[in-house]
Amino acid sequence: MSCVQQEETSSTGLRGREFLIVETSKCIYCGFCEPVCPTLPHGRHRGYGPRGRVFIARLVALEDFYTDGDEESLYSCLLCGACNEVCPARIDIVRVVREARSLLVTR
Amino acid sequence: MSGIGEDLKRVLGGSKVETDPHVIRLYSREPSGLEGMVEAVVFAESASDVSKVLSYAYEKEIYIYPQGSSTDLVGGAYPERPGVVLSLERMRRIKEISVLDSIVVVEPGIRLWNLNEELSKHGYMFPIDPGSVKVATVGGAINTGAGGMRGARYGTMRDWVLGLTLVLPDSEGTILRLGCRTLKCRQGYDLARLMVGSEGTLGVVVEAVLKITPLPENVVVVLSFFPRLEDLVEAVIDIKSRAMDTLLMEFMDADSARLAAETLGASIRPDGHMLLVGVPVNREASERVLGELRSIMAGAKASSIYTARSMEEAEEKKLLEIRRSLFATQAILTQRQFQGRKVMMLMEDIAVPPSRLLDAVKMLRELEERYGFKTVLGGHIGDGNLHPTISYPADDEDAKRRALEWYYEVMKLAVELGGTVSAEHGIGVLKKKALELELERIGSRRALELMRGIKKVFDPKGILNPGKVI
Repeated sequence: MSCVQQEETSSTGLRGREFLIVETSKCIYCGFCEPVCPTLPHGRHRGYGPRGRVFIARLVALEDFYTDGDEESLYSCLLCGACNEVCPARIDIVRVVREARSLLVTR
Repeated sequence: MSGIGEDLKRVLGGSKVETDPHVIRLYSREPSGLEGMVEAVVFAESASDVSKVLSYAYEKEIYIYPQGSSTDLVGGAYPERPGVVLSLERMRRIKEISVLDSIVVVEPGIRLWNLNEELSKHGYMFPIDPGSVKVATVGGAINTGAGGMRGARYGTMRDWVLGLTLVLPDSEGTILRLGCRTLKCRQGYDLARLMVGSEGTLGVVVEAVLKITPLPENVVVVLSFFPRLEDLVEAVIDIKSRAMDTLLMEFMDADSARLAAETLGASIRPDGHMLLVGVPVNREASERVLGELRSIMAGAKASSIYTARSMEEAEEKKLLEIRRSLFATQAILTQRQFQGRKVMMLMEDIAVPPSRLLDAVKMLRELEERYGFKTVLGGHIGDGNLHPTISYPADDEDAKRRALEWYYEVMKLAVELGGTVSAEHGIGVLKKKALELELERIGSRRALELMRGIKKVFDPKGILNPGKVI
């Protein structure tokens, strides 16, 4: 019996890089997600919070390189989803982080 | 690797300087959609760090962009030219709370919300509450001259700053104390308050002495909807004529309130223009004042009225939810309109005398029709501060041109109605032209020369937040 991992798809059927480009385009950079993030107060910069992660994920999707800062940002996320609850633009930030991590692995 | 970044690492230590290109980009943009690029981000941890950075920048003639939490809406904090972002986010200590002296001493990076969490343990508050209150920092609020929903009662940041410690952009990175820790203070020219609203163009605030005030014993809240805007204004006039001391007096037009309720999935169904009123009372007077408010609203022909005997009850009943969602409503609307495209949002910040509100709303609706941008309209009716908001796709040059025209026209109407182009967001880069218009209209173009002179005195090389305000 084989185990098939089901890939995540959004309601619009997008996934991977395409999903990231569409989902992160919703971010208006308001920062309303930051106060609820458990990792941001312990991080070195804005990249350790959801606003930074969404923007970093967008850069990862749009550019053909990534930086050490991108890895630190995306892999310090606990995927707790607190930011999803307060985002005014209703971005699925947890999935954005997951998809961006997947993209990093493929490079 | 940038030479400036390496230099700054030597001056401050590597842990305080970031040169990763993607991390730098996180600090080179803001919600207005404006984006620049710097060579490094410095995270100051003390006044001494800031002093070293400014002294270095003065010697090398490098542009410095002081930054709080980047919630600015007018291009006030973004790096328009190459340089270095000076983030104050690590300087977030509350150094002292003195109930006896009615002051708090804080570093600039503390968020307003966190400050209030601490003050509430003492039964006190700091009343400046912009829409971004959970994110915005004290330093940013000082530099933009922030206000908020309680502005009609508590004013804006300039009413609450008693003293500041400032670092100047000179060869020494001079650290200067301005103002006092007493409520009354006459120290020659009021240089501390000159810093309020200066948008980081004159010096870098590294510490602030702020006035604090007791939390109200209780607040009663009434949310009403009016089919006719004229009737809503009648209700406001009635409240003011009775000399009721309002804490909140917020407005949203009928379309925007309906849209906000829809996007929120709110249980309240707006059936007209929205008026949200909160009045601070002692507990014994709650029922009487609430009854009076209810009768004012009914007398002004409100179509529906919701009441709460306390702020806690108002939160439970979600009476404040619709007004708070002004920004979110525009964000959701934007997604529906321009699905999958990167968008820019323009939130205006005009103030008109409350007596001219009807004219302002009518003129804003005309502009909406003329330019074809769906406009979400709400604001602080108590002090006449309105925040009409639109959005457009970032990749559409024609839409951008028309949006900026709309933005300017809104400010023009404010000036025509005897108001101002910016109530609490500041001037930044987006409102510079309109500031000139406003000063021209009141016959004070010379004020711009005075401002340029002041800038020269504080920042002779023009290295601090260049291109902003004037």
